[in-house]
Amino acid sequence: MYSSMIDARDIPQWRGGLIPHGDKDENRRRDPCNLLLLYPKLSLGQRSLLGGGKVLCSEKGVLLRHVFALSRAATARENRLCAAGDALLACHRSYRSRPTHGIGRFQHLLPKEVPKRKKEKVQMKEISEGTEYQYGDLNIQMTSYDLCLVEHFAQYVHRLCNRLSIRVNESYAMPTKTNEVLFLEERGSKMQLDAVLTTHQRVVQIRGLSSTFAPILLEIIQSSQPEGVHLLMKQHTEADFKSRLKSRPELEELLAEMS
Amino acid sequence: MAALMAAAPARAGSGARGTPGAGGDMAGHCGARAMAAPLARRAAGSARGVCSAAAQRPWRLFGAMCLLRLPRITQPLEKEEEEVAALMEQIELEKSHYSDHEIRKLEEEEALRRKKESSYDEDEARGKTVIMAQDLEEKWEQKFLSFKAAPRITDADKNNDRTSLSRKLDSNLMLLVKQKIGNQELWLLPQVEWQPGETLRNTAERAMATFLGDHIQAKVLGNAPYGIYKYKFPRAIRTENNVGAKVFFFKAYLQSSDLSRAELKADYLWVTKKELGDYLKSEYLKKVNRFLLDL
Repeated sequence: MYSSMIDARDIPQWRGGLIPHGDKDENRRRDPCNLLLLYPKLSLGQRSLLGGGKVLCSEKGVLLRHVFALSRAATARENRLCAAGDALLACHRSYRSRPTHGIGRFQHLLPKEVPKRKKEKVQMKEISEGTEYQYGDLNIQMTSYDLCLVEHFAQYVHRLCNRLSIRVNESYAMPTKTNEVLFLEERGSKMQLDAVLTTHQRVVQIRGLSSTFAPILLEIIQSSQPEGVHLLMKQHTEADFKSRLKSRPELEELLAEMS
Repeated sequence: MAALMAAAPARAGSGARGTPGAGGDMAGHCGARAMAAPLARRAAGSARGVCSAAAQRPWRLFGAMCLLRLPRITQPLEKEEEEVAALMEQIELEKSHYSDHEIRKLEEEEALRRKKESSYDEDEARGKTVIMAQDLEEKWEQKFLSFKAAPRITDADKNNDRTSLSRKLDSNLMLLVKQKIGNQELWLLPQVEWQPGETLRNTAERAMATFLGDHIQAKVLGNAPYGIYKYKFPRAIRTENNVGAKVFFFKAYLQSSDLSRAELKADYLWVTKKELGDYLKSEYLKKVNRFLLDL
């Protein structure tokens, strides 16, 4: 920053004419984007104008207005005459007639996205016990009363399958079932609420398990089964898929009415 | 007729008596048998079978069954595991919020305290429930105390009775039978010779049935064998057509622990993996240990 206070009237003002810091063409060759370099080659007058403006900002307001008026006049002249390469100095964006118009555009380069329609997911079926001795889609279902335990076990099974390069199609949770245990007193007819039990189920769906490796995998999972978790391995069927979807009674009513 | 065939040649087992030449020839002479393509996997218990040809090669085939009783209870935690578990529990407890029951209990204690200090129990007693949270807790405590858990260490453990099934409840137990091979009586997994016209899995099941009776509820896992043990007969018995024997191991899980049916062979044992070394020969043991999973 300038240490001394510069009076605006002392600054020689540049009233137009040729660009003091070089030719237009020279600038363009050096700067293909035609953007000003970060450190623009200002003439002394312009630099001091800027600097003067900054210094005076921190002090009195009257002089500030003076300086700004002057700087505005100066920059307007610059706009008209020496805009090439002075974008930063003048602080105006690329206009349509400028060569730099649309310089930041990139959306036209991205691949076109098809708008997503809400469709029902079609399920895929795989041969099971084909000539290559592979199972199709298998569901490993883990059920327990304890949420953390069953979730951690499901994570363990998923990572184990990843590690053994077994393809995991999906890993999802079935909705929680809540059971209320009612306690009937010995000499009474009223049922009393004893406990509320929530049953959680997690499913890991795998595909492409070879029949020679299946018993080994089963043994590993069985021996690392925690207490209180029920394990079930079965083939994936359409009924399993449908059980995840919610039924819409109004839609079914309307369909029944129509048909 | 379908025995099992594999692409991977057998390692030179049986005390380096199997010649590499024989192994190479084995792979070449893969006969017309049904395939169950085993792939070598790095998990414990990799299934390797040996391609054994028909009557051209003088190896006798046996099918052996490794019958496992699954653990009934979980293994105890290690010292570090216990410490970590305790720490995590404490952290969780300190971070957690009060549950409904605890809030109710606190409120009731508050109300009781206020009732004792100053008496406006008329208003509050009306909306009060008959049972307080504290009473519920006491009821639960009593119920818990009256519950007796089954012992983890059973009598059989204390007596070290190796023929009983209720011994080590937290590990796998497998069946060992004393069999006569050649002139010797050896402790082995039950095995029986393969008859032409049956799968090796059937052979193994037959082996199980011969030693334990027909009504065994065991579930064989898969058609592929888990391991193989190959040995050559001693030179005295060895002939052109009878070089040695190959034993294919299969695994099965015991479904029910009810073995009240008569055991045909008297000498049987249920042992864990660590105790196998007391009974089996070293080469045999090495092969068997390869497919035993002891988590």
